[in-house]
Amino acid sequence: MGNEDITWPIIIASAIFFLAPAALVSYLVIYNGRKKKHAEEKMQMEQDFNSELVKTQHEIREQTMQTIGADLHDNIGQLLSLTSFTLKSIAHSEPDAMLKKVNDAIDLTARSIQEMRLLGKLLQGEQLVGLGLHEAIKQEVNWLQKTGVYEVNYTCKGLDSTAGNPEKDLILFRILQEIINNTIKHAQATCIHIDLNYADACLKLSIEDNGVGFGINELPAEQIGMGLQNIQKRASMIGGETTINSLPGSGTTIHVFIPYPQ
Amino acid sequence: MLLKYLTINTIAEVCCFIIAVVKLRKVNDIFWKSWIVFLFITCVTEFTGKYLKDLYLADRVHVHPNVWLYNILLIAQAFFIGMMFMHLLKKYTNSFIIIMSSFSLLMIIYLYELFSHGIYVYNELTNTVMLVIFILLSFLYYYYLLKDEAYTNLLYSGDFWWVAGVLFFYFGTTACNIFFEHLSPEKMKSIKHLTYYIYNAFNIVLYGCWSYSFICKRWEMKILPGQSS
Repeated sequence: MGNEDITWPIIIASAIFFLAPAALVSYLVIYNGRKKKHAEEKMQMEQDFNSELVKTQHEIREQTMQTIGADLHDNIGQLLSLTSFTLKSIAHSEPDAMLKKVNDAIDLTARSIQEMRLLGKLLQGEQLVGLGLHEAIKQEVNWLQKTGVYEVNYTCKGLDSTAGNPEKDLILFRILQEIINNTIKHAQATCIHIDLNYADACLKLSIEDNGVGFGINELPAEQIGMGLQNIQKRASMIGGETTINSLPGSGTTIHVFIPYPQ
Repeated sequence: MLLKYLTINTIAEVCCFIIAVVKLRKVNDIFWKSWIVFLFITCVTEFTGKYLKDLYLADRVHVHPNVWLYNILLIAQAFFIGMMFMHLLKKYTNSFIIIMSSFSLLMIIYLYELFSHGIYVYNELTNTVMLVIFILLSFLYYYYLLKDEAYTNLLYSGDFWWVAGVLFFYFGTTACNIFFEHLSPEKMKSIKHLTYYIYNAFNIVLYGCWSYSFICKRWEMKILPGQSS
C-alpha cells in the first residue's frame, strides 16, 4: 500500500474522531434549547396559576360585597326604615300605643343588630378560607340556610384542618361558590346537598341539587364557556377533575376530585 | 532566531495564555484563575522542550532528549485539569472522591513507569490512562448537565466550553493514537506530516475552546458577579 493509499483513511478516521464529540456537543446545545422552552412554559404556567389565584380571591371578595350590599338593601335597610317609620308614628296623646310602638322599635332595632352581626360574620368568612376549607364552606352553608329558600345539608369526612393547602382551598371554595351561584340562578332547586370527603390523598367535593337539571350537550356554547368550563379549568389548574351528571328534570350532581393536600 | 520557536502549537498556546491573563485575572475563582499558571507552565515547557530538542539534535551523545520535561508536565496536566473537573462536578456529585481516586491511580502508574524505565523515557501508559480518565470525566459532566433541570445558556457557558475543549482534544487524540498504533512503523513514518497536521488541528480546537471559555467566564462574572467571583 502506498503513502497515498492510507492518507484518505487517516483523514476520514480523524474527521470521525472529531465529529463524534462535535455531535455530542451539538446534541447538548439543542437539548438545552428544549430545556429552555420547557422552563419558559413552566414559568408561564406558574404565572397563570398565580394570576388565577388573584382572580379567585377577587371574585370571592366581590361576591361577599354583593351579598352584603343586597342584604343591607333588602333586609337591614327595610328593618331600619320600619323602625324609623314606627318611631315617627308615635303620638304623645296615646301613651298606651306609644309604649307598644317603642317596644316594636326596640325589637326591630335588635333584629337589625342581629342581622349586622351576621353580616360581620360574612365579612370574616372572606378570611375563613385561611382557616381551612371546612370553616369557609360552613359559613357559606349558614348564609344559604339563612335565606330560608333552600334546605342545605353539609357533611365533611376525613379532612384534617391542620394539613391543608391554602391555594387549593381558595380555588376549591370558589368552585363551590360558582356551582352554588349556578344552582341559585338556574336550577330552581329547594334542596342542596354538599359533601366534602377526604381519602387516599384525594379530596372530593360533591354538590347535588334537586333542581330542574339540564342536558349537558344542549347548553349553548357561551353558557358552557362562562360556567361549567370555568369550573373545569380551575379544577384542572390544581390537578383535579370534574364530573357533571345532569338530566332535564332530575337535578344536577357535580363532583370535583383534587389531589390533596399536595 | 525566535521564529523557530513559533509553531502552530506554540502560537495557539501563547494566544490562549494571553486570553487567560486578560480575561481571568479579575475572576475571583481560584480554580479558573489557576489556568493562568497552568498555561504559563505549558508555554514555558513547550519553549524549553523545543530548546532542549535542538540541543539534543546537535549533540545526541551528551544531551538527553526532552522527554523528561514532558514527564514532569504530565503531573501538572493531571493536577490542573483534575482540579478543574473536581470544581465543575462538585455541584452535581461528590467529585472529591472521584478525582482523588483518579489521582491515586495515575500516581501509582506514574511511579511504576518511572521506576521501571526512568525519567528519560516517556510515561506512555500514564498519559493514556490520564486521557481516558479525562474523557470519562467529560462524559460524566455532560451526563449531569443533561440531567440538570435548571436551564443554562450553554453557548455562553464557560464550564461547558472548557469541557468541550477537553473532550475534543483528548477524545480525538486518544482515538487517533489507538488507530495509528495499528499501522506499521514504515507507514507511520510516511504519514508523519499528516499526523502532525491532525494533532495541530486538535490543538487549535482545544485552545480555541478554552480561550472562548475564559471569555465566557469573564462575561458570567460581569453578568452574575456573585456567582462567578
